[in-house]
Amino acid sequence: MRQKFLVRNTNNHEMIELKNISKIYKKGNETFTALKDVSFKIDKGDFYTVIGPSGAGKSTLLYVIGGLIHPNSGSVFYNGSDLYRQSWKELDRYRKNHLGFMFQQFYLMPYLTISDNIRLTSNKKQVETISYYLEKCSLSELKNKYPSELSVGEKQRTAFIRAIISEPEILLADEPTGNLDPGNSEILMSLINEYHKNNGTVVLVTHDPAMQKYSGKNITLEKGIMI
Amino acid sequence: MNPLRLVIKELLYRKVSSLVILLTVIIASTVSVAVYSLSKASEDETRKIMREQGLNLYIFPKGTDLIDFYSVNSTSVFPDKYVDDLAESKTFDAVRHLTGILQLKYPDWIDPNGSSHQIVLIGYKDEAMQRYLPEQELMGTDVPQGTVQVGALIAKNITEGVPFTITGKDGKLYSFKIDKRLEEGKGVIDQGVAFNLEDLQKILGMEGKINKIEALGCVCKDGRIKNARNQVQSIFPDLEVTELSSIADARENQRLMMNKYGAFIIPFVIITCLLITGFLIYQNITARKFEIGLLRALGNSTNSILFMILAKAFIIGLAGAIIGFFTGTLVSEYFGKEIFRFTALNIKPAWHLFYYSLIIFPLLWMLSSWVPALIASKMDAAKILGEEY
Repeated sequence: MRQKFLVRNTNNHEMIELKNISKIYKKGNETFTALKDVSFKIDKGDFYTVIGPSGAGKSTLLYVIGGLIHPNSGSVFYNGSDLYRQSWKELDRYRKNHLGFMFQQFYLMPYLTISDNIRLTSNKKQVETISYYLEKCSLSELKNKYPSELSVGEKQRTAFIRAIISEPEILLADEPTGNLDPGNSEILMSLINEYHKNNGTVVLVTHDPAMQKYSGKNITLEKGIMI
Repeated sequence: MNPLRLVIKELLYRKVSSLVILLTVIIASTVSVAVYSLSKASEDETRKIMREQGLNLYIFPKGTDLIDFYSVNSTSVFPDKYVDDLAESKTFDAVRHLTGILQLKYPDWIDPNGSSHQIVLIGYKDEAMQRYLPEQELMGTDVPQGTVQVGALIAKNITEGVPFTITGKDGKLYSFKIDKRLEEGKGVIDQGVAFNLEDLQKILGMEGKINKIEALGCVCKDGRIKNARNQVQSIFPDLEVTELSSIADARENQRLMMNKYGAFIIPFVIITCLLITGFLIYQNITARKFEIGLLRALGNSTNSILFMILAKAFIIGLAGAIIGFFTGTLVSEYFGKEIFRFTALNIKPAWHLFYYSLIIFPLLWMLSSWVPALIASKMDAAKILGEEY
């Protein structure tokens, strides 16, 4: 039986709970364990940093939380409902209404201006909010430019606005500073931090231990196991 | 953001890819419209050539010996009402321009100089209007009552202004105003006189009788003669149909050949263009996999991904259909002038084809994008967007 979203919330603060999540990839005869028995809870307003070397399963964990990778075993509960017992439609709605995504490669649409890239996740009523964030991220003058005309720092700040413009409950960031120089990393992290301070929940995947200074809670993964 | 706006922006951004796909629709649409229009023009050309050849189907009483018909003066006759009955029939549509005729030899006509000649008398009934077929321009010989049209050889023996006179079966002398003096080279009428049917029937004492119906065979799928014969004999089993073969046969064969080519060329070009489009769209979605992955991660459903790919194919299909229609019409007009004598200037845009194109091409191009669209909608966003597992 599929459960409807938001039907029960056992705890006002508890937002996401991962229980014994395992994910194994198979390629031919070879198998690769990306996650093994991972369990933890994310409360509203948490800022988690997931740290680990390459291949530790950090991104898999992020996408499992994001409803994009079905685990082989275990459950992910969002507000008490088992995420992977929902329909595809419900999962789409979950991502659209509750999550914001950021990636290392920005993934801006090359044929849309900065404004239009941000509008991918916003609605018509958010014109003022877009202007506010553009101003805040020093992108106001670039709003009609295309991604190819921006620096990497500007691209990632655009991607940040796109991720948070619809005011999601959780921001899932996959190595957002991976392509940035220290200066731009600092600017971006201060923006993410501000989002967190305004009651936003953040799960940030990084291989840079220095990022832990922004978060309240840390998870370290090694070969898919929480240590 | 409105998905349609996203589609249009992407379409304009990847200009080369979009233009190549558009080109495939234009080619398919142009070829279809041009081949269809030329094939139609060829059909009209055949029809007009057949008209120029004159009426080419003869309907006689069954058993009429055609050698006797032209050489002996005693052929079977049948009521001229048959023509009206055929014209009133709902099922009789294989021939047009039904003209009832009474044609007999007159062995001893005395010309104004007193010489005796054997001449041919032909009485024409007014061309019958077929009740259940669209009206057509008259084609048969129209001779007003009280007048005659004299053949070239006879006209030589009658001075201008002098009436045509002939002795009737009742022994009376009948006089007719000469309405037309026909030019030489018109066949049997060169040595004959054309009457209004009723006038000739009165002269010969054969009221209500004819011995031939002339008509024009249709341009039918299964051949003029077969169709006409079946239809006539189902109404009047005592009549039979004979065809005067002509150059129209050659034109009709050419038209049939063109239809055959069209039946091969149009599907071949369309299928080839569809396959190319399918491949190009597949390439397009492969190049856009990160965009598709991102859209999935942002919560866009598989249906909205499907919509975006299919909407693109629809827009290009629609634009290509419009451009292709006009290009195809121009191509057919250009080549039509070179190929056809009668219909050269009559090749006009086939607007019904335009409306069909507006529906068919966008749908076909959406169909060709269906598999790539499905692939796009099933793309694993996590696999695309994640750099490590």
